Amino acid sequence: MKLDSADMYAALMHELKNNLGLLTMTLDAIPLCGDPGHDGRVDDARLLCLRSIERLQQALLIYKAANNALHPVVDAYSPLDMLRELRDTAQSLARDRLVIDTLVGDGVPEIWFFDRSLVEMALSNAIHNSLAHARSGIRIEADMVEGCLAFSVRDDSAGYPDHILAGGSAPEGWSSNGTGLGLRFARLIAQAHENQGRFGELRLFNENGAVFRFLLP
Amino acid sequence: MALNAIKGNEQTIDYGALRALVVDDYPGMRSALKMTLSNFGMTKIDLAASAAEVIFKVGNNRYDIILCDFNLGEGRDGQQLLEELRHRGLINLDTVFIMVTAESVYEKVVATAELAPDDYMIKPFSAEVLRNRLDGILLRKLAFATVYRHYEANELEAAIAACDELMRNHPRFVVDALRFKGEVLNAMGRFEEAEALYKQVIAMRAIPWARMGLAKALHLQKKDEEAEELLHDVLDKTPELVTAYDLLADVRLAKKDGAGAQEALQQGVAISGKTVRRQQKLGHVALDNGDLATARGAYGAVLEKGQHSVFVSASDFGNLCRVQVEQGDVNAAMETLKKGKHTLQASSEGQLVAAVVQSMAHTKAGRAEEAVKALDEAAQLRGAGARIDEKLMLDMAGACMTYGRHEEADAIVSEVARNAHDSDSLLAKARRLYEESGRGEEGAKVLTAATADVRKLNNEGVILAHKGDFKGAVDRLLTACREAPFNPRILMNGIWVILKYLEQSGMDNDLMEEARRLLADVEKQAPGHARITGLRNQMKEVESRYGIRRRSA
Repeated sequence: MKLDSADMYAALMHELKNNLGLLTMTLDAIPLCGDPGHDGRVDDARLLCLRSIERLQQALLIYKAANNALHPVVDAYSPLDMLRELRDTAQSLARDRLVIDTLVGDGVPEIWFFDRSLVEMALSNAIHNSLAHARSGIRIEADMVEGCLAFSVRDDSAGYPDHILAGGSAPEGWSSNGTGLGLRFARLIAQAHENQGRFGELRLFNENGAVFRFLLP
Repeated sequence: MALNAIKGNEQTIDYGALRALVVDDYPGMRSALKMTLSNFGMTKIDLAASAAEVIFKVGNNRYDIILCDFNLGEGRDGQQLLEELRHRGLINLDTVFIMVTAESVYEKVVATAELAPDDYMIKPFSAEVLRNRLDGILLRKLAFATVYRHYEANELEAAIAACDELMRNHPRFVVDALRFKGEVLNAMGRFEEAEALYKQVIAMRAIPWARMGLAKALHLQKKDEEAEELLHDVLDKTPELVTAYDLLADVRLAKKDGAGAQEALQQGVAISGKTVRRQQKLGHVALDNGDLATARGAYGAVLEKGQHSVFVSASDFGNLCRVQVEQGDVNAAMETLKKGKHTLQASSEGQLVAAVVQSMAHTKAGRAEEAVKALDEAAQLRGAGARIDEKLMLDMAGACMTYGRHEEADAIVSEVARNAHDSDSLLAKARRLYEESGRGEEGAKVLTAATADVRKLNNEGVILAHKGDFKGAVDRLLTACREAPFNPRILMNGIWVILKYLEQSGMDNDLMEEARRLLADVEKQAPGHARITGLRNQMKEVESRYGIRRRSA
């Protein structure tokens, strides 16, 4: 069997991703002892593991999308279920370090159409960024914006730097922790969602902190 | 717009009352998942490392949740395991089956499969995500309880009514209910309604499974041009959607485009080559197209990938051997028989396959004496009632012709033709055999005689039924069923007219019993045939009209 180097790198990334997954589960099982020195280090390790997994997932996505456009597999999902999943994951990572709020708009329907795993990947990335930068809390929202389902992740950090808001290339400081890369992926995922000629969008702005808004047509 | 805090689900799940099975070939993952589930309050958690272990455990316990890794190392993968569990009726619709996979591309492979899991989880995932997914599926299963109860009792009308009610009362399950209802409508033969339903879903969003359902409904209405065009578009947007290639192959076969069907199956196999039935089909289509190399590869893959699979039978050994013999590779055919010895010797069907293949192989190698000896054995087994797939029966007829045993050959061909009076490819093969043995004219007579009676009886029966003379139709078709006891189309027509007659004239226990027996035969001969569910349903309705209550299987 001929194994080209791209296949080999992909297989290696898979293995690393799965090992990190097991490591995360192992860290999940370490009981808290109330000592911030201990608990904080375990939390940091979990977050680092998850962010490493994300990077590998993104790398695999590049590998798969190298020759084809990203093809989302759209099905009907409950926005509320998605919100609950994100909240519980964020809560478990933040423990009592940060307050996690979740809000849903009146007009959000019972079901919406999107590729759950891709959207989850984009939103988890935003949440992990906020977990790293927020001062005291994160708010995850689902609402209807301009006829689209909008998932937003807000935090009370210092906000996105200007070059990120301008959508320019990421300087060293941002690219080294992957934020710029993660945002580019989120944009790619949003734009891959299309409905009757309307495409998904990623909007980033500052409003008492950073706001990551992901619109699904 | 006002934003409100979200609440937890109104209903809660008592995980302590549920039993789970965790399936993974990697011990570290098994114990990590077990620990995660026990944190949800579960205490009854079993572990399995392989598909064989799952089959054993599921036979002894009823599981509420099965968490199964897609990649199970050697042998069957998670998808094959799920297909087998459902095919053998080992798990019910209310069992939650979640596939765990490392590959996000898996969802594209299974998201629209007819035997899709309830959900899939892409590794790695957190305990919170798993908990939320399980909550969601278990609540959905609760909402679908009535639908499932009716469906499993084969009360399809009632299942459809329950879907409609679910849509009215639980808007969040609208799309799930539409999906289920579409599948039931297609299974019941109500293709026009299925077409309308899928178009309704597509109007909301062109979800791949809805487009596949629509293509199937179109194909079943013989609107194959439209179906093919739709499938091209589906594959253009989601090229990994492996079931679309299977359906495309069916559509092209219906259009008599054998080469196109083979191409579609080869594309499907390139994505997912482990599915035994896809490889079997590729083998048959390639053989019909005269592409022996592809047929050999596909039949070889059936035996290699399908070890222990419920979908592999003795005939699969015969299929591979036939191609090997046709290619002149007698040694390889004998080697295949040797490898399959254990399986083949276990049944009279297998022994017949082995005897026919040996006869063909010895003939090809010029060992006439051994060939005749094997043919004698085959004749003896057939005389004792052993039956094999029609193509192998024709191989046996061909062997008889080689050794001048024309009477035996004619009897076999006649039996095959009666039982496959509408199969162009089998009848063509039979004609070729006669031509090759220089008895073309005699062959034509045998085939005409064999098919004419059955065709005449069948046509008369159907015409009488359409005129409302169900008694006359039953007479004709039961005679046809006796003439062609392995012809699923005749048997299904027989069941249909019996049930129509009973509806019209009142209960007749002997006829009802005959219809049941015929239905059981059809289920064995043509499992999964599109008409079976409708007939089963029709039978249920007749039984319930006359107050017969039977325990559902």
